[in-house]
Amino acid sequence: MNMIALTVNQRAVQVSAEPRTNLADFVRDKLDLTGTHLGCEHGVCGACTVLLDGVPARSCITYAVACEGAEVTTIEGLDEDDVTTELRAAFTREHALQCGYCTPGMLVSARDLVLRLPQADERLIRVGLTGNLCRCTGYVGIVRAVQSVIEARRARNIAPEPDGGRKILGPVGSGRSVHHGADRAERMPPLGSEQTSPEAASSVASIPDFIPATVLTQHFSVAHPPEQVFAMFDDIAAVAACLPGASLTAPPKPERVEGAIRVRIGPIAATFQGAARVEQSPADMSGRIVGIGNDRRSRSSTQGEIRYRLVPIEQGTRVDLSIGYTLTGMLAQVGRPGLVRDLAARLIAEFAGNLDRRLSGSSPGDDTAAELNGMALVFSLLRARVARWVGRFSSKNDEAT
Amino acid sequence: MKPAPFGYERPRDLQAALAVLGEAKTSAKIIAGGQSLGPMLNLRLVEPQLIVDISGLAELKQVERRGDELVLGACVTHADIEDGRIPDVTRGAMQGVAGNIAYRAVRNRGTVGGSLSHADPAADWVSALSALGARLTLRSLSGARMVAMEDFIVGALESALRDGEIVETIHVPAMPASAHWGYAKSCRKTGEFAHAIGAILIDPSAATARVVIGAIDSAPVVITNAAELFGGRIAGDYKDRFDARVADVLLAKAGVSNAAHRHIHVNVLKRAVSEAAA
Repeated sequence: MNMIALTVNQRAVQVSAEPRTNLADFVRDKLDLTGTHLGCEHGVCGACTVLLDGVPARSCITYAVACEGAEVTTIEGLDEDDVTTELRAAFTREHALQCGYCTPGMLVSARDLVLRLPQADERLIRVGLTGNLCRCTGYVGIVRAVQSVIEARRARNIAPEPDGGRKILGPVGSGRSVHHGADRAERMPPLGSEQTSPEAASSVASIPDFIPATVLTQHFSVAHPPEQVFAMFDDIAAVAACLPGASLTAPPKPERVEGAIRVRIGPIAATFQGAARVEQSPADMSGRIVGIGNDRRSRSSTQGEIRYRLVPIEQGTRVDLSIGYTLTGMLAQVGRPGLVRDLAARLIAEFAGNLDRRLSGSSPGDDTAAELNGMALVFSLLRARVARWVGRFSSKNDEAT
Repeated sequence: MKPAPFGYERPRDLQAALAVLGEAKTSAKIIAGGQSLGPMLNLRLVEPQLIVDISGLAELKQVERRGDELVLGACVTHADIEDGRIPDVTRGAMQGVAGNIAYRAVRNRGTVGGSLSHADPAADWVSALSALGARLTLRSLSGARMVAMEDFIVGALESALRDGEIVETIHVPAMPASAHWGYAKSCRKTGEFAHAIGAILIDPSAATARVVIGAIDSAPVVITNAAELFGGRIAGDYKDRFDARVADVLLAKAGVSNAAHRHIHVNVLKRAVSEAAA
C-alpha cells in the first residue's frame, strides 16, 4: 500500500492503494465515485474515460500511483460543467442512451470533441467517438447530440480549442509528484507476490489426438544425412536440448515425455508444463510429436503436434515441419497466427542451428538463449506452443506505453 | 483483469531510472504512458516484479531542433505531436500519423518512445518513423548508442533494446521540400491496430525513396532504396511506375504466405504511393 495524493473533482485526496490499483478502481472503491464505469479493462471500450489534467484518459489502464499530484475529474465532477450540462440535455433530447453504462465515458469523450472540433462534422464526430463503445443506441442519437451542442456553441461564437487546453508535453497526469527526501527513487515493494509454483507435468493424464485450430508449415536444412538426423530425432533428450527453453521433468519414454517449455515474446512469458508422446515411422523417415500442456499463470492450455518428414537434399537433409496447435484461455484471446509464425520461424532457426551443431559433435551449449537477447524462446516440440500473444490485444492502445 | 501485484518506482531522473533498471534486470518493466503495457498487465500477460515509471522524467519530455533533425524525448505523446505542441520538421507527416493513432484518450498518454519499445509491428510509429529515416538513442548505465529505426525492430514485440537500456530520444531528419510523403493503413475499425500499413518518403528530384510495408506480424519490410518498386528508376511519374508485383514478392519473401493478406498490403501501399503523388 502506498499513500497517493491527488486532486479528484477539485478536492485534495490522500488515500493509500496498491501500485496495481488502476485509477478507475481507485475512484470507485476508495472514493465511492462509482460513476466511472469499467467495461473491458484493457483500454478498448472507453467506459472508464475520465479527465486527467483536464483531458480524456483511460482510467482502467492508468494506475493511480502514476497520477500522483494530478487533477482527476470524473463524471461526478462535471455536474456544473457548462459543456457537459449542454450535452446532458442533448443526450436526453436525442435518446443518446439506453442502459447508461457507456454514458459517463461517452460524455467525457463527447465533451472533448465539443471543445476541440471546429465544426459539427459528422464524420469527425464518429471517428472521435470510436474509442467509446455503446451496445444499445447504434450511436445515431449520440452523434446527433454531440453535433447539436457543437453547432449551438459555434453559433454562440465559442471558438474551438484544438489542443483541449493542454500546453505541456508528456503523458497527461504525469510529472506532478513532489519529490521529497533524499532517496533517488520512490520505492514501493510488491506485496508478497509469490512466484507461481510449477505445476506438475504428471497432472496431465492422457495425451489425446486432436484437430489443430492453426497449422503452420516450416522447413529447415541441416548438413547431415537423413539417417543421422532421423536417429537423432529418436533421442528425445537430445532433441529437447536443442530447443531453447525446453526442459524435461522426467526420464523420457517415447509414449510419454514430460517436460516444460518456456516461451517468450517480448514482455510476455509463458511456461507450458505437460506431456507429449513421440511416434516415428522409419519407412518414410517421418514422425509426429503430440502433446498437451498448461500455463498456470495465464490459465491457458494448448494442444500441439509437430509432424516432420526428412527429405534428402544435396547438402544433407531438409526437415519439413508441420506445426499444429490449439490454444485456449487468456493467451488465446490475444493470439494472432502471424505472430506465432514469426516466433516459430525464429525458434526453428535456433533449433536447426543447435541440431546442426549437435550432429557435428558439439553441444548446443547455452549460447542459444543468450543469443536471442534473453528471449528464451522455445518451442515446443514437446507441445506445441503457444504462443501467441501478442499484443494486439487490445485493440487499441496501439502505441502506447 | 486486475494486474498481479508489482513493486513501483518513480525515479527522480534518468540516471536514477537507469540505475534501478541496471539493478533489477529482467524482472523490471519500464512504464511511460502505459497504453500498451497497461492492458498486458491487466490481462496478466506480463507480471513484472517491478514497474519503473519514467513518465515524470523531465529529461524525456524535451524536444529540440538540432541541426537538420528534430530530437524528441521518448515521453512525448502522440497528442503532443497531433496538436502541434512540438516543432515539426516533417511538413505535417508526423502530425498526420499521430492524429490517427488509437483514440484521443489513448493519445493523451501514449508515448512515442513507449510505442517503439513495445515493438508491436502494427503500431504506427514503427512503420512511419522507419519510412522517415529516424534514428533512436538508446541509453543504459554504460552509455548511449544510436540505432536506425530499421535495425531497432527485430520481430513481433522484439526490439534491439538490451537489458537495462531505454529509448532516450528519437531523431527525425528534416524532410526536404522536394520530398513527397504518403502514409496509409487499413483498420477494420477506426482506431484499432492496423492490419496493413504502407509508408513512403520519395524524392523524385533526388531519385531516392524509402518504402515501408508494415503491420505484417514481424518486423516491417523497410526498403531504403526503393527503385525496384518503380521499375528501376525514381522519377516524377513514380505513381504510374509503381510495380505491385515487386511489392508482392517482397511480402512473400518476408513470410506473408497468405495471398489475400499480401493483396491488402500491396493495395494499402499503393494508396500511400497515390497519396504521396497527390
